[in-house]
Amino acid sequence: MGLVFTRLFSSLFGNKEARILVLGLDNAGKTTILYRLQMGEVVSTIPTIGFNVETVQYNNIKFQVWDLGGQTSIRPYWRCYFPNTQAIIYVVDSSDTERLVIAKEEFHAILEEEELKGAVVLIFANKQDLPGALDDAAVTESLELHKIKNRQWSIFKTSAIKGEGLFEGLDWLSNTLKSGGG
Amino acid sequence: MFSLFYGLWEYLVSKTEFHVLILGIDKAGKTTLLEKLKAQYSSVEGLPPDRIVPTVGLNIGRIETSNSKLVFWDLGGQPGLRSIWEKYYEEAHAVIFVVDASCPSRFEDSKSALEKVLRHEDLHGAPLLVLANKQDLGDAVSAEELARYLDLKKLDERAYTFEGVSGYDGTGIKEIVNWLVDVMERSKRTEMLRVRAGVANSSGA
Repeated sequence: MGLVFTRLFSSLFGNKEARILVLGLDNAGKTTILYRLQMGEVVSTIPTIGFNVETVQYNNIKFQVWDLGGQTSIRPYWRCYFPNTQAIIYVVDSSDTERLVIAKEEFHAILEEEELKGAVVLIFANKQDLPGALDDAAVTESLELHKIKNRQWSIFKTSAIKGEGLFEGLDWLSNTLKSGGG
Repeated sequence: MFSLFYGLWEYLVSKTEFHVLILGIDKAGKTTLLEKLKAQYSSVEGLPPDRIVPTVGLNIGRIETSNSKLVFWDLGGQPGLRSIWEKYYEEAHAVIFVVDASCPSRFEDSKSALEKVLRHEDLHGAPLLVLANKQDLGDAVSAEELARYLDLKKLDERAYTFEGVSGYDGTGIKEIVNWLVDVMERSKRTEMLRVRAGVANSSGA
């Protein structure tokens, strides 16, 4: 009964909850992004083994953001977190051009997952502050985003260090989730 | 045996699904139009225009009419993003090209973008709907005037029309959906796409 009232209350006041997974290769900047979003500052991070989870309140949506470690050996565990996910934030180190092929392969493998079929996809072309970083059009090309035809996607140039582009991305995410998603 | 009948039943009651591309240069109003389409044809509310941000990627809208399903692909129109348009051509049944009719200074930009779209082999025979959008604004030119400005050549081999609409207040939305469904049902391209999908399915099975 209490649950019914909670639901009614949140639908009246427009507070939604969304479960978001932050994925990407190791050293893409996922953890820095998570804490930049949550605390508004740059924290020094170490490679994530396992996960970090934080709640970010933005635009009347409570984002439950899961940042999963990106190293090769622990990527197989990502799928344990797939059920009930509304959106994926896929983070790419735009300056690491050598590993963009691997980033692409991992990305398309994620999209194949049955449990993520309904999730919308936000791509962060991160580390724009570094010299030689590819822009959004070039990252779009390298990740072959055009192969996505049955769900909504969007890409943003970000710099987690400078705090650029991240909230623009969340704006898109909250709009898309509110207007019915993928 | 059951699956045979089921297959036949599916075939009889299923609605054809059409893919419609929404193209146009940035600030033409493609996403606002898409949200209006969603609002008028489905239970989804659609985003209010003031919340819409420039698209850098793909927005999708699915609507149903009495006898068909339409999937709209709305792609970002900024110059750097137009290169991905063509990746979606092959599977499109028709193209909507949106122009901000209140902004003559950018007609030339629209014209060259549209001509490039029409030259592409993968869109051969695809019905074309050119929209003089933003008719809610006083200084918007009409569909006829826009047609004169754009002065498109070699359109004969495809079905095409120009319409005045407003993605903001919804003027003309019903008419364009009716036109699209009507021409897509009869177009040779739809037949071609169906055959190709059939071939792909049977070879995959």
